[in-house]
Amino acid sequence: MSRILMKGNEAIAEAAIRAGAVYYFAYPITPQSEVGEYMSRRLPEVGGVFVQAESEVAVGNMLMGAVASGKRAFTSSSSPGISLMQEAISTMAAARLPVVLINIMRGGPGIGGILPSQADYFQSTKGGGHGDYRVLVLAPSTLQESVDLTMLAFHLADKYCNPTMVVADGMIGQMMEPVQFPEDYKEEPLPPKDWATTGCRGRAPRIIKSLFLDPAMLETNNVMLAEKYKLMKQNEVRFEAYKINPQNRILLVAYGTMARICQTVIDELAEENISIGLLRPITLFPFPGKEIFAEAVKPNIKAVLTVEMSMGQMVEDVEAAVQGRKPVEFYGRTGGIVPTPEEVRDYILKILAKKTPAVKSWKG
Amino acid sequence: MNQVTFPVLDKRVIIFAGAYGSGKTEVAVNYAAGLAATCSEPVSIIDLDVINPYFRSREAALSLEAQGVRVISPHGEMCHADLPIILPEIRGEIERSEGKVVLDVGGDNVGARVLSSLADSFGRGYEFLIVLNARRPFTSTVTGSLKMIHDIEISSRLKFTGIISNTHLIDETTTETVEEGYRLACAVSTEAGLPVKFVSAVGEAAKRLDPETIGVPVFTLKRQLLKPWEEKDRAARSSKNKGGLVLCRV
Repeated sequence: MSRILMKGNEAIAEAAIRAGAVYYFAYPITPQSEVGEYMSRRLPEVGGVFVQAESEVAVGNMLMGAVASGKRAFTSSSSPGISLMQEAISTMAAARLPVVLINIMRGGPGIGGILPSQADYFQSTKGGGHGDYRVLVLAPSTLQESVDLTMLAFHLADKYCNPTMVVADGMIGQMMEPVQFPEDYKEEPLPPKDWATTGCRGRAPRIIKSLFLDPAMLETNNVMLAEKYKLMKQNEVRFEAYKINPQNRILLVAYGTMARICQTVIDELAEENISIGLLRPITLFPFPGKEIFAEAVKPNIKAVLTVEMSMGQMVEDVEAAVQGRKPVEFYGRTGGIVPTPEEVRDYILKILAKKTPAVKSWKG
Repeated sequence: MNQVTFPVLDKRVIIFAGAYGSGKTEVAVNYAAGLAATCSEPVSIIDLDVINPYFRSREAALSLEAQGVRVISPHGEMCHADLPIILPEIRGEIERSEGKVVLDVGGDNVGARVLSSLADSFGRGYEFLIVLNARRPFTSTVTGSLKMIHDIEISSRLKFTGIISNTHLIDETTTETVEEGYRLACAVSTEAGLPVKFVSAVGEAAKRLDPETIGVPVFTLKRQLLKPWEEKDRAARSSKNKGGLVLCRV
């Protein structure tokens, strides 16, 4: 199939269909409403069902039932809508239900605004809902990657029986880029869904639940979940290194569209013989902390700079990864304002001009 | 090399409509700027996009105003809203007797519905043009394009007067992409009985088009709605994001 021009929201919707999603529940919200519009047109063609729910709370509960049946189901929303689904996400994590969620992030907190943002990093990677659980979080930076990661999200959700989220700022949802869908999509083998509630005639009933009144059983469930998160950390860390080399003087860490702003800056500074590298987390959970540490401690690196469309969220994971070995700087804009390459460039030059690092190097 | 001329359309009101993502806004913005550069009359552009929350013609307002184009779009913080705002001055602008008016309409029949409320104002002095991009999912075939024409005509209560062949893949657009789109536009033209008014394409692809192949004027586009990382003009970058609070630790 040749390359076609798609809007991010459409590309994500088509990718979900190609990955075999047959149930979609959603409530419209800018800047992701085109996903629902596209699904309303396309899902009937593949024998799927789209229910526009009365609220995002209902969406969460509809997803729970649909995913429990063993079929692939997903939703898409934007920040405030994802907030409303948190109870269901926590429940699905506890009950090991492989749901896929798409969050096309907009400015918050509260109703905020409709312009792009990356301020749901905490929400998606640190829980959002209650209890000891993690969500697998994938963060595309191009529309092709949005297609690939959406398809991967369904696979990983099934592989780990865990809620999996694709997070992208509103620009990814709204912008247009050429994309290509795989000719014939094949997945690695997955475990059978021997837990699915498909009707118990001729077999023992299956119960999917998150209520454990016996404290020992609840703790066992938490320990088993934690084991699974450990496996994810071992197997699923994904990142991209851009122009990383021993001459780098600053290590940039940015995800999604912010990584593209950083790439523009890196290319321009390279022409002025200023060597900067970028490590772009593709999975936000599990986070590529070890990889960031390995680059940050290289002798020529003066500081690590995190660029986000937030007041500083991922930077906390970067600080944890760097372990005080190098100064960690932050540059961010919020409210829907997108940092320009010029601002990032100026900030990098400011760091390079500083005489002493803000944090003293740790001598080990 | 092709003759790159500005395809002046005689009518006072020029309306660009079409499927989502066909490139209406880029064509409309470029066309308004082209009119301002070639005509002595005043030129205005009306942002009638009630569908998209981002990447609308109002985002090119600064550059358009600098080129002598009056931009009519929601004021103040409402310019960022995703509400179907139809300013009262739009009807006045359409019904005026002098000057050129370009209308940038939101995508699909949903976006074109806004025109039906204004349909009585247009009289006979307008061009209603469907912008076609053969690389978009729902207009990649003659059947799909004819359906789009039909749906938009019904919701807008207006009849199209021509086709703009604007097939592109943004920065992956080649001469072949444009030619392939032109072939589709010609097939749609025959079926729908509408003339292809011009082919629009970005600079490099437009320059290499063979005039033997393309039988209509070619309008060269300069991309106005760049993604933030694509803006190479450092002065243009610096003029953005003024007035906001900048967060940093240095």
